[in-house]
Amino acid sequence: MMDSKRRTFLKSTAMAAASSMVASNASLPVVYADQGVADLPDGDGLSWNKAPCRFCGTGCHVQVGVEDGRVVAIAGDKAADVNKGLLCVKGYHVGGILYGKDRLTKPLLRKDGKLTEIEWDEAIEIVAKRIYDSPETFAIYGSGQWTIPEGYAAQKFMKGGLGNNHIDPNARLCMASAVTGFLGTYGVDEPAGCYDDLDECDVVITWGNNPAEMHPVLFSRVTDRRSRGENVRLIDIGTRRTRTTDAANVYLEMKPHGDVPIALGIMHLLIENGNYDRSFVEQHCNFRAHPESGKSLFGEAISEDEFRKRIAKYTPEHVEELSGISVDDLRMLADLFANPDIRITSLWCMGMNQHTMGTAVNTLVHGVHLLSGHFGKPGDAPTSLTGQPSACGTVREVGTLAHALPGGRIVAKPEHRKQSEEFWNVREGSVNAVPGYHTVKMFDQFTKPTSDGGDITTMFVQVTNPGQTLPNLNKLFNDKEPLDDKFLIVSEVYPTATTELADLILPAAMWVEKNGVYGNSERRTQQWFKMVDPPGEARDDTWMTIAIAHKLFEMGYEGMKDKDGEFIFAVKDDAGKEIPIWNFDNYYDTNVDKHLFEEYRQFTTMKHKNLAPYDEYVKARGLRWPVVEQEDGSWRETRFRFSGFDDPFVAEGEEFDFYHSSSKDGRAQIWFHEYEPPPEIPDDEYPMWLCTGRVLEHWHTGTMTRRLEPLNRAMPTGYVEMHMEDARAANIRQGEVVIVESRRGSCELPVWIDGRGRPPRGSIFVPFFDETKLINDVTLDEHCPISKQPDYKKCAARVVKKAAAKVKS
Amino acid sequence: MNRLTTVFLSLVIAVAVIGYFVGIGDGVPQPDGFYESSLVDRDLSQAAANDVKLIPAVSYSEISSTPMGPTKSWQAKPQALPGGDYDLYTKIEPSEAEKEASGKLRASRRSFNGAPPIIPHPVENTTDAACYACHSNGVQMAGLKASVMSHKFLGNCVQCHAPMAPVPFQDVDASVETSFVGLPAPTQGKRAFQGAPPTIPHSQWMRENCNACHGGPNGWAGLESTHPWRTNCTQCHAPSATLDQMPEAEIVPMLPPLDVVRR
Repeated sequence: MMDSKRRTFLKSTAMAAASSMVASNASLPVVYADQGVADLPDGDGLSWNKAPCRFCGTGCHVQVGVEDGRVVAIAGDKAADVNKGLLCVKGYHVGGILYGKDRLTKPLLRKDGKLTEIEWDEAIEIVAKRIYDSPETFAIYGSGQWTIPEGYAAQKFMKGGLGNNHIDPNARLCMASAVTGFLGTYGVDEPAGCYDDLDECDVVITWGNNPAEMHPVLFSRVTDRRSRGENVRLIDIGTRRTRTTDAANVYLEMKPHGDVPIALGIMHLLIENGNYDRSFVEQHCNFRAHPESGKSLFGEAISEDEFRKRIAKYTPEHVEELSGISVDDLRMLADLFANPDIRITSLWCMGMNQHTMGTAVNTLVHGVHLLSGHFGKPGDAPTSLTGQPSACGTVREVGTLAHALPGGRIVAKPEHRKQSEEFWNVREGSVNAVPGYHTVKMFDQFTKPTSDGGDITTMFVQVTNPGQTLPNLNKLFNDKEPLDDKFLIVSEVYPTATTELADLILPAAMWVEKNGVYGNSERRTQQWFKMVDPPGEARDDTWMTIAIAHKLFEMGYEGMKDKDGEFIFAVKDDAGKEIPIWNFDNYYDTNVDKHLFEEYRQFTTMKHKNLAPYDEYVKARGLRWPVVEQEDGSWRETRFRFSGFDDPFVAEGEEFDFYHSSSKDGRAQIWFHEYEPPPEIPDDEYPMWLCTGRVLEHWHTGTMTRRLEPLNRAMPTGYVEMHMEDARAANIRQGEVVIVESRRGSCELPVWIDGRGRPPRGSIFVPFFDETKLINDVTLDEHCPISKQPDYKKCAARVVKKAAAKVKS
Repeated sequence: MNRLTTVFLSLVIAVAVIGYFVGIGDGVPQPDGFYESSLVDRDLSQAAANDVKLIPAVSYSEISSTPMGPTKSWQAKPQALPGGDYDLYTKIEPSEAEKEASGKLRASRRSFNGAPPIIPHPVENTTDAACYACHSNGVQMAGLKASVMSHKFLGNCVQCHAPMAPVPFQDVDASVETSFVGLPAPTQGKRAFQGAPPTIPHSQWMRENCNACHGGPNGWAGLESTHPWRTNCTQCHAPSATLDQMPEAEIVPMLPPLDVVRR
């Protein structure tokens, strides 16, 4: 490995010869191959291997160039269906995420307020002891960035081993409403369509979604069709103008929460005009609503007449009043859906999911597609996008949620518990029937003093950064600090807002420093191999879980033994001898990922989410489940679920079959929901709508991307986007640092008037990537009653000049 | 009494005048368009729309969204642009010094060889058309050069090419501490023998247009082809299967050797 002095030397500034058009701060550190520097990468011995990108849920494949044990280059993978050789600016620079100077390389324990280096053995023992002493007050907070084996190991450890269901992922904050939307509509989670829809559709509707920045590879897959001469109409429904709006044919500006009445209004017009798809609805759909007794995931059946009666009040005029989009625009949308000759794809992500009516609006948009028959044909698809690389694979499929078990099972059902206990070979009754705490509740219980009933005392956070991403941080995270009996364990790669309050920090291996399997937004399961060693003593998250489990096993904890008295994660070699994978030196003596994956595979057939054997994924650039073995022994993936022409589980001759229908009759559910106003509405005291979100260059909390110069250079700081008139009225200037505050907290941010996005008057937008400017001190923790996903997209706030704030105090 | 009134009135006027000037210029830079006002009233702008020789004036904030192309009268008659003086048959002798300088400049815009270059100049408008205007065929003007896109037309340019920091945040220090060292650009292809055409030492993926760098008036100094009139580059210069992500072959598959019975 090269010494650091030489690297610094190599970072000479760029040639001043750059022409005057080029700004002076425009260059990256020069890595030109200077003569006489022997150990710079030179392309000799460079090897390339496949991996899915570390960032978003699109699931692009990259080719990783490795030389002398270091990642030196990245290329888009031409063999990958998802991205066809293209990437986005984050993906091209993903290799650099391994090499930030402040990588965590040693376990750190907080002693008397100071972090002290300790050995791994001690760290594992501390964790095991805390669990041993109080297993029922232990919780794991995981991630949609967990690999499938990581999430599966944590799931088995908690629910199979400890009989403790307090395991929930950050994906609760990200796509829980999409899950409940799919369950409520089809009886089973995850999209029916896939990215192929983007190649076929005539119209794309983005519902509160900005794919030009958040899913750029999918977005340009659509817009590149235009440059090939195809006609794709893009309709952007949003609360502010974005880069997606720039490419849109039509921009419809709605009020926050306006998506609900818009969907209701479209359905109302389709029914009133009699131009919905009668035969599709008669053959394949039922109608649903919440019963009077209260809201529930599956609701109750209502008749078509009842549905008509209830939706009748959502006239275009009423919808205009609620949503802010005009009668004409609503009619235009309804007419599009009434046209059976075009293909319509709806895209949505956080706008509809981070919503106090999240489940409702998800089911309503599915309902619009079902009622109009724009479903199940290539290009006709309601498509929910995910933000994390394995929110689908690890959270939704492995079921790392407080109420779930792998493969679409839930802890509440005795037969599901029994099946899980059988697959895990653990004693009957090992799995607890009572769901654990969901994310918001879990952190509330963790940061509440034990004396006040805060019954989570030890929390293990893996692969995520709740100290930055939880809503209303002052209530859910920051108040942990003074509580001495609460113990926060964080497995991380870099210092974060979460490690600030950690009592024990475990240095983790990341991405191609370990084996992994991810599952993307279109049901595609993707495998990669370890390519380089992690720095220092950083280690795999799966190993951490197994090592803790084995320590408990050694301490005689009964739950860590299976029915036959063996360690629950035991892996044996061909001779039947146990491989000590809990020793990190022996961890890679076998492919632990493969063992865990093959065990997990057994769970996947119940909900027809069949996975192929591990080795099939080694050969492929991902496969979309259900993957079913053919007569010739090959494995076939499925592009369009529930559609007879492609889904192997739809009977021969049937056009559609919703075979997990909650009404048990093969039909999907078209829901009715009554509009409800947002949880907090701007008033005289807090007059602005605050929306939070992301930008193209930074991924989520910026832990990785803010250590990459090309990205940081493009977006160096968090900011508040503001309308020019609002700025003028408050005498606020471009770049001025102001205070954004709500009833819950405040945050200082520089102002970007008419920034990259342009919010309308009376609303502001703040991206959440900047760990030095925590906008989640300001957001609220109100959440959807069904999915428990908080609403980060709307609350009441005000913008105060710093000078004015000083005068006041 | 009269004098007092005069003094008082003068004072009032002086205060008003001073107050007026102090009030409109408090020395703080204003955001673009902060005090924008339409320079042309509606009647006049309609007149402008009718007069083919006029472009309506707009406020600063509206400039980025206002088409500022040639006027209708200019468009009406095709203009003869001054022809380039690029001669395909001029003898070209690439200089090693220029090649190194070009290589360094290119490297300063990429984290590693093959990374999409960052955008080295400020951008106001990130629509595809704005980028394409200069980067489709390249432009050279008054000492400035816009390089040619090396790949086919792809939309959403800023998806891959990171721009500079937004105007209000350009003073923020964006440097990071990293030990990442990217793959450098190759300096030359391999030749089977002196005088043989070199192989292509880099991937052709996203670099399908050889002339973007190696030829034509907008290529890179020192990297130019000595024979720009030849049009089929891969006829002589062999690409790399590995770099172009062709199906992998551990060894080149060959038939077994002939089974010869020796006398």
